[in-house]
Amino acid sequence: MLDRTPVLHRAGVARSGDAAKADPITTEVVRHALNSAANQMKRALVRTAFSPVIYEVLDFAVAIYDPQMRLLAQAPSLPMFMGTLNFCVEEAVKNVGGEANVFPGDMIMYNWPYGTGSHPQDLAVVNPVFLEDGELIGYTAIKGHWLDIAGKDPYCTDTVDVFQEGTIYPGVKIYKRGELNDDIYRMVVANSRVPKFVAGDLNAQVVGCRVGATSFQEVVRRFGREAFSHAVEAMFDHGERVVRSYFEAIPDGRYVGRGEMDSNGITDDPIPFEVAVEIEGSNVRLDFTHVPETQAGPVNCPVPSTISASRVAISMLAGYGEAPHEGHFRPVEVLTRPGTMFHPLPPAPCFLYGWPALQAIEVIYNAIAKALPTAVPAQSGGCIASVVYWGTRQATGEPWADGSPHPTGQGAWNGGDGGTMLHISESATRFSPIEVWESKNPWIMDKMALAQDSCGPGTWRGGPGIDFHFRMTEDTYITTAVERTKNAPWGLVGGGTARPNGAGVRFPNGHFVSIPKTTRFLVPKDAVLELSTGGGGGYGPPAERTKEAVESDLKAGYISEAFARANYPHAFE
Amino acid sequence: MATRIGVDIGGTFTDLVYYDDETGETVEGKVPTVPHAPEEGVVAAVSGHVPRAVIEKAEFFLHGTTVGLNALLERRGAKVGLITTAGFRDVLEIRRGDRAEMYNLFWRQPEPLVPRHLRLEVSERVKADGSVYRPLDEASVAPALAALQAEGVDSIAVCLINAYANPAHELAVEKLLRAGGFAGGISLSHKISGEYREYERTSTTVIDAFVRARMSNYLKRLDGRLRELGFRGTSLITRSGSGSMTFAEAEERPFETIMSGPVAGAQGASEIATQLGIEGLVTADVGGTSFDTALILNGQPQVLYEGVIDNMPIQTPWVDVRSIGSGGGSIAHIDVGGLMRVGPRSAGAAPGPACYGKGGTEPAMTDAAAFLGMLGPGKLASGINLDFAKAKAAIEPVAAAIRQDVETTAIGILRIAASSMANAMREVSVEQGLDPRAMVLLPFGGAGPLMATLLADELKMNRIVVPPLAGNFSAWGLLGADMVQSSARTRIMDLGDANLAVANGILADLFAEVAARGDHLEHGTVRSARLDLRYKGQEHWLSIDTPLAGDAIAWTADEAGAAFAAEYLRTFGGTMSEVVEIVSIRATVRAPLPRREQVFKAADAVAGDEIFDAYSFEEGRRMPFRVVPRAAITKPLVGPAIVTESTATLYLDAHWTAETGAKGELNLIRAEAK
Repeated sequence: MLDRTPVLHRAGVARSGDAAKADPITTEVVRHALNSAANQMKRALVRTAFSPVIYEVLDFAVAIYDPQMRLLAQAPSLPMFMGTLNFCVEEAVKNVGGEANVFPGDMIMYNWPYGTGSHPQDLAVVNPVFLEDGELIGYTAIKGHWLDIAGKDPYCTDTVDVFQEGTIYPGVKIYKRGELNDDIYRMVVANSRVPKFVAGDLNAQVVGCRVGATSFQEVVRRFGREAFSHAVEAMFDHGERVVRSYFEAIPDGRYVGRGEMDSNGITDDPIPFEVAVEIEGSNVRLDFTHVPETQAGPVNCPVPSTISASRVAISMLAGYGEAPHEGHFRPVEVLTRPGTMFHPLPPAPCFLYGWPALQAIEVIYNAIAKALPTAVPAQSGGCIASVVYWGTRQATGEPWADGSPHPTGQGAWNGGDGGTMLHISESATRFSPIEVWESKNPWIMDKMALAQDSCGPGTWRGGPGIDFHFRMTEDTYITTAVERTKNAPWGLVGGGTARPNGAGVRFPNGHFVSIPKTTRFLVPKDAVLELSTGGGGGYGPPAERTKEAVESDLKAGYISEAFARANYPHAFE
Repeated sequence: MATRIGVDIGGTFTDLVYYDDETGETVEGKVPTVPHAPEEGVVAAVSGHVPRAVIEKAEFFLHGTTVGLNALLERRGAKVGLITTAGFRDVLEIRRGDRAEMYNLFWRQPEPLVPRHLRLEVSERVKADGSVYRPLDEASVAPALAALQAEGVDSIAVCLINAYANPAHELAVEKLLRAGGFAGGISLSHKISGEYREYERTSTTVIDAFVRARMSNYLKRLDGRLRELGFRGTSLITRSGSGSMTFAEAEERPFETIMSGPVAGAQGASEIATQLGIEGLVTADVGGTSFDTALILNGQPQVLYEGVIDNMPIQTPWVDVRSIGSGGGSIAHIDVGGLMRVGPRSAGAAPGPACYGKGGTEPAMTDAAAFLGMLGPGKLASGINLDFAKAKAAIEPVAAAIRQDVETTAIGILRIAASSMANAMREVSVEQGLDPRAMVLLPFGGAGPLMATLLADELKMNRIVVPPLAGNFSAWGLLGADMVQSSARTRIMDLGDANLAVANGILADLFAEVAARGDHLEHGTVRSARLDLRYKGQEHWLSIDTPLAGDAIAWTADEAGAAFAAEYLRTFGGTMSEVVEIVSIRATVRAPLPRREQVFKAADAVAGDEIFDAYSFEEGRRMPFRVVPRAAITKPLVGPAIVTESTATLYLDAHWTAETGAKGELNLIRAEAK
């Protein structure tokens, strides 16, 4: 019988040193040095990776952990991976036999979704790091998105169990004491539609982990193990104080935020869910127990990503722009219930785990807005609006593939209009230039333009969404993963809603098919993929927007006159 | 050979160095920068420090300025209209979708230089291969022009999709704008940058249109003032990508100078590295508000082909100089979690560090150094007398907050500053796969020599070269800036002998284009070419220097492929069995300035040796330091010592020895491993 008792998750409560014995100066220097080591790992990875998903989309995370698997430092990369890597390290090490069974030169591959928090394509390489005397000082780890890992399709929105989603590496040593494990390597290469890319990216992850290990060893050697571990405790305590000082200013209470997924990818029914934020003093508890049961389609979010979404939401808000470490996570408790969509159990499908996770970030802000509306922005377009394309080139017969997230309007906040950019869960990512796309992919873009009237009205208005029109010049398959098409982005404090996302294909005969979430859809030559990303919600009553601001929006064409008259009649008095 | 004057305008000071061919002397000077009229600072420096006879016989005036940069940062430029392909007027505003501050939920992209109502569309479309998908509808240009004229724009930028592959429509639009009576500046994207990536090219084109008039006015005014002072030679300005260009060329291509601020230092470092035969060198330029570091390999700075200013990309070559907000004026403060941080906020020129006694009360890095005795007894050559009591008073509140004494706190301020500088240096070298420990440190700028041994210690470097005129080194670096022009064009095609012939055709066009730009080629020029190559399917490329036979690449496709593979192996540690493709072709024409001899004469009078108590980081305690004028170092000087010169103070920690070298440099060697 499945135990459905809620599970409480806390960050890094273990202590390995004594913060009181650390001096504040060494602490600050150690913090710099660890961040620099993580940045060096990232550079090595980006410069050696083969796939644009790594070097352009930055669909990876690199981080350094101590022996208690507490996050010491990470480089700017994919926020959603930020809070999951410690689980990858824990499980990878446990599965090869625990700390007693890891040795210098070992590299462990791990991608079991319920341990990584991700779909199987996101594979972690974990490298235990030792000093010369054989003492384990921690781990360097990189989780990166592999282009293809032999799932049923290169990208899926309709899987019904995890085994359709890709090959599983449940914690296997790709390197043993520095020697390549050839049996595993050949398995890796055999289980991909794009073996060259996968082999190249695996190598890049290994190189990155090694570079990080060398820098990490240097840091520990330089300060000495004892002084280093005291400084680390002081650094964590500091991060914890920073986050706590933020939440002390927010009134105590239980605040509920509500979101809704469009569908589970199999059936078309919407899936409403809620997350409660409980604030008591400087403690924050995020309660995910009142969410729907595990879904039949791949919108289940394994626990590590549920926790990561919570950590991202909180550290973006309360971390004062710093790269987070374990200390920032300490005030944050997460409560989940096994068997739900935010705590699925094997073999529940979870290919689209990122979509509920990224929506959860804004649902948490929706809850915090009820405590202190000035603390957060209104909702963004609410999605990364991803499209993956592939096919066979007519002229050469070569297979090709590409994929990208797309920007949406961002929510307005107290004191500022929203901009237009990628969702906060992919805040360092860039999408490709049109000229780069057209130089390699079989399409011509008809337009990429800010959409008029797509922004939520308000004292401060949301950012506009974008219309992307891709006219295919050869038959192309696409998978679309676009959420929040049924619900408009919410405004705050009287601000209005904005245009929701949409995706569809217009055929040469003019017929339009809406396909926000679909797998392996054929877009024939001369048909146009129309992606319309959502705007950001408004903040504050539209009646309080200044006349000048309304006029300026009109002049720029962000809004039409009809929209202005409907939402800002005071500007025409 | 060839007398020349170099003037570099910084945020706080305008630095001057001139070289007199007759006497072989190099002389330096410094005056305050005049922010609202920078040319007045230049005039003050020249008229105050250079004898009329030298001005009259000088062949070159070399200039480094942030005028264009400041116009951009402060948004003081032309009212620009932008014409784009129908469907794409928002490229400038949509950007690439990323956030400059990834952990900042409230970050918003800066206002584009051209607001939306001044971004208008014309009907046309070119494909990636250069073929025309939709011909230019000439009738669509007139309404756009009329709208822009009604708005009173000063200049118009034209950036059409895929114009890098076929500029015909941009040229046609220009013609129609002129025919329609537009008299202002027109910037065509394909002339600004022949490379693909529409957002980056649009941004660059718009920046050109935005700063051009301001830059041109400034250069004309300055040139006029110099002529009044008797100057009869050629006026040159530094390029972001190293080298220099004439004022006339800079008026045409002002965006090429925007990121030239820190370039002169890297240029000087290259010259020193060549003269001293140093293979790998890392610079540490410590000023009042910022720290700049660059890697010099085999006498060459590293050049990148796209930069960013204030979140706006610029597609132009620039010397890879990394900056962080840390310098002598950086202020120590306590953050919200109770930890001490240093910078990036700076005390700047006003009020300056507390110890300067100009009203500053917050603890700057310079205050910590003064308190620890690292600046010596307190009479700086610039005329400032250090106020130690004020330094101490400024540090006390921070010390109390972290429950440490003032001494420990001051040491901490320097250690924290040094560690962030060291991280930046580590990153520029490690990125090239190089270990900083095997390299030489070249410190300069007002506070560079102060931080030298601390930085070397952080990075475990054993050799430091303090260049002559360390405090004015950037101005000195200017004097060696050869005239350079370059151009590039993207043409993606598989690497093969037939396509190499196509590349050679493009290269000939590029050389012709460069020749048409200016009249600077009288000095005997050197041509060079590069091919940007990558494995097919990749996005990032490597830029490979290719030998020339006449104006054509002297390689077969196989030779080019082999050179690429070798460079790929060196950089990434492996190669692939993929087809190699050409991405872009780059042409450069360099007109070297006449070489100069170097004889350094110290400007200082030699004062007597004195002893001063200062803190030694190597020894971890205060101890007696000798205070020695740089000019007095005729035999090896064993640290600890404080070496003074007119524009900088060198802190020589214990276990280091300084010796004057053949070119006037000071060689610092770590005496023993700790």
